Formats: sequence, structure tokens, C-alpha cells
Amino acid sequence: MEVSERAEEFIPAGLASLGIEADEVELAVMNAAHGMFWPAILDLLSLDTSGVEPERQPDLSKAPR
Amino acid sequence: MSALDLSLREQAAAIARGDTDPAELLDEALARIEQRNPAINAVVETFPERSGEMLAAAPKGPLHGVPLVVKDEWPLPWRAQRFGAAELLAPTAPAESGPYRALRDAGATIVGVGNMHELGAGSTGNTSVYGPARNPWNTERCPGGSSSGPAAAVAARLVAGAVGADGLGSVRFPAAYCGLTGLKPTFGRSAMAGHHMAAITSLIVSGPLCADAADCRLLGSALFDESLAAGDASGLRIGVIRDPVSEDVDPEVRKACEAAIEDLRGETGGEVREVSLPDLPVATLAAILLINAESLNGATPERLNRLHPEISPIARGFIKYRALLPAAAIVQSARIRTMMRRRLAALFADVDVLAWPTVPAVAPPLESPMVELPSGTHTADQANVRGAALANLTGIPSISVPVGLSSEQLPIALQLGAAWGRDELLLDAAEALERANGRRWVEALSPLAPTETETAGA
Repeated sequence: MEVSERAEEFIPAGLASLGIEADEVELAVMNAAHGMFWPAILDLLSLDTSGVEPERQPDLSKAPR
Repeated sequence: MSALDLSLREQAAAIARGDTDPAELLDEALARIEQRNPAINAVVETFPERSGEMLAAAPKGPLHGVPLVVKDEWPLPWRAQRFGAAELLAPTAPAESGPYRALRDAGATIVGVGNMHELGAGSTGNTSVYGPARNPWNTERCPGGSSSGPAAAVAARLVAGAVGADGLGSVRFPAAYCGLTGLKPTFGRSAMAGHHMAAITSLIVSGPLCADAADCRLLGSALFDESLAAGDASGLRIGVIRDPVSEDVDPEVRKACEAAIEDLRGETGGEVREVSLPDLPVATLAAILLINAESLNGATPERLNRLHPEISPIARGFIKYRALLPAAAIVQSARIRTMMRRRLAALFADVDVLAWPTVPAVAPPLESPMVELPSGTHTADQANVRGAALANLTGIPSISVPVGLSSEQLPIALQLGAAWGRDELLLDAAEALERANGRRWVEALSPLAPTETETAGA
């Protein structure tokens, strides 16, 4: 199933489950955003970061400890 | 020549010597805004009485009497920020923001509020509740965003300096498009109090936009509340990477930036080292996801169902789409942030700065902000963010420096990034680059900047 087809289900279902309303223009924008971001989000989720030990309360003003 | 045409530091020095009356300078700035601003829509509000009161109470600080513009992202005691939008999700109110206090305590006068891209959500400045700001180099082109008004105001020499904010490149993009120097400080080093996301953001910082590095050093010192001392960039180790941020770039931009890197190497007696920084695209997305998640602060479903009708349709759609971002992607983004911070820490043991073009193409048309790159046609936002987000994700400082003009007479800019806390080194390196090219690009004036003839007749 293509991203655009999944968006047809994902976005209305997601909005409905959260009780968020959207008009046609907003839905068109969301579909476009989904098509742009979702494949990259899937790539991001599939990146193996198991070896990355999380920083505890990272101080972004300094190099990582 | 009007004192308004001097650099920020020269204005401050002239006032300190008694050569320039700050009250006259304020009047000149207001008159110039009235004269030039209609063409660029850079300043969305002035408040002469408030500015006059600020000047009357100004201490004899390093910016005493100097008129400046602040982005519509910072509240003032007499004005709540509007963030370039019809309304914000978070409540706002007039307040003494950190940048306001910093400027006030340094003796500066805030002469106006600068336009910005709606909700800070764009690199072009072509969308705003006030209407788009325009680029003084070509008013049909984007000024860059989201600090569009502050940059356009400085490039048109309405003022010599302005305070912006940078969450994903929002100081550096407009600096690049408008031919200015713009510093994105190390996270947490510059004033942030009063920002409506100050308590939750891990990416946004305030930063100076000025003609050159020395002026950024002066204004940055006020924002940092510490002296950004000049140092020595001798022997600078310049890191370059083989990645789309440096290679999928308009040929004119690439040529100018490669020449600037060589100039910087020569001026500092340093060296250029090719380094590796994998996963830059995923790091960019991580930064986008994190700032979008942080921007949901206050966004209940009920609140999202009553967004102001004058918020643009694109912004309304994106705001609601944020609510659908998977939590797993946000958590993964935090891990990627750690991964990239560690990689950068290791990399900065071998190089002092990383260099690549600030933006891959010159300012696109306001009506259609698309850019042509070797890989094809892209929206300017998509193309620009990939070179900027790393600094916000990891917290490192970064600076955009003008390094040329395109065949269309539009500015080209090089970005330098350094390790945490080495903001001063970036300013040193930018000054070395200015010396190397004879200050040709920092002194280049946009067509809307004042000419001697106009000034003499003013």
C-alpha cells in the first residue's frame, strides 16, 4: 500500500481518535505533509540505535559526557 | 553620511565620544523606517514614545543609544509577541523578555519589531500575518526566515543590528539570503527568558543579525551577558564533508563557498580536512520532529479545534499533523541526538570548524519559493533545513557569513559550525574570512541600503 493510500486511512482515523476536526484544505495539507515526512520517519525508526547509550539529562550547552 | 549608515560598533563609539546625539539617531532610524520599510515590510511596528522612554532611561552601556530591531518572537514590556501569526497556541502577554533586558541593560534602544515567518515555521519569510517581508537585494525574492524582518531591516540599513531567534536555522537562513552575518549561539548561552517556549525548547536560541562579525560580537556580548572576546583563528582546522549539504548545491553557491573555504585556510594558515559525518539526513529529521513535538505545548484537541481562522491553511494543517507524530519517532529522535552529539564531539577533536554552504541556493522568488539543485527541484524549506538543523539538534554554535554574490546579484553564504561554547572561535574565523576577501561581501550594500546621495539629501 502506498503512503498516499495509507494517509487516507491514517490521518482521518488519527484525527478522529483524538477528537481533532479538520477541513478539506487542512486534510490536503496533512496528506502532503504525510507523503513528505512519513517515509523518512519510517527510515528514522528503522535506524539501529540500540548501541547508543542515552544521555541522562543532557546539557545541550556542553559536549556530551 | 548619516550615523545610521555606520556599523553597529561605530554608532556606539560615535555616541560614546559625543559625536552623535542618540536622540537624533533614533529620529533618523524612525524616519528611515518610514521611508524604506514600505518596500520590504521588515518592521511591523514602531513605538516612538516607548523608544524615547527607553533611550531616556538608558545606561551608558556598550550599546548606549543604538537603535535596534527585535523579532516578533520576543515580548516587550509594552507588547506581546505575535510570532508572525494571528494567534499562538500558548498564551502570551507583554513582558520583559531576556533579549529586551539584555538590550536595555546594554543601553540600546528598541526602535521596532521585525516581521517573521508565521509561527517560525519556514525558512523563506514568505508567509506572515503581517504579509511577507521582502529581500532588500531584490524585493521579489524571499528574505529568509523565520527572522525575515530583522534581516531585511539590517540589509536595508534601517538599523545596524537586530535580534532574531534560531530553532532550525531561523537566524542563519535570513542572514544568508540578505547578505548578513548571523550567529546561532551555543544552546543556552544567549538570552531566552520570556520566550513562549523557553521552558520546553531544546533547540531555540536568540541570536544577532548584523553586517559583519565584529558587530555580531558586540550585539552577541549583550545577548550572552558576557564579553565575546576576540581571539586568534591561526592554524584553523577546517572540516568539510562529502554530503548533499556541500555537494547538492547550486553551482554558483558551491564555487563561492569552496573558494571561501580556501580563502579561510590561507588567511589562517590552517588546513582543510575531509571528515565523515554519517546520518545527517536522519539527524535533520530528528531535529524537525523534536521541534514539532515541542511546539505542541498547549495543543489540546479542543484547542486545535478552535484555531484562529486567519492562521494560514498550511500552518493549520501542519499544527494538526503534529498531533499524529508517533511517540516512538520522538524517542528515537532523542537517541539520534545523542548519537550525533557524540559523533560531533569526536569530530571536533580533529577539526576546529565544519564548513558548508548555509543554504544550497540563493533567495528564491517570494511567489514560488522553490530552488533548483543538481538533484532536482525542491522547496526552499526542504533544501535549506538539511544544512542547518544539526546545530540545533546538538546544541553547537554556528555562523553564516556572506561570501559572494550570484550572477543575479543575490548573496551567497558559508556556514561554519564549532564545538559547544566556541562561539568566539566562529566570530574569529568569520573575521579572518572577511580579511581574506577584503571585507568585500560584508560591505556590499543591497540596492535598498542608503546611498551617499540619498543620505546627503535626507
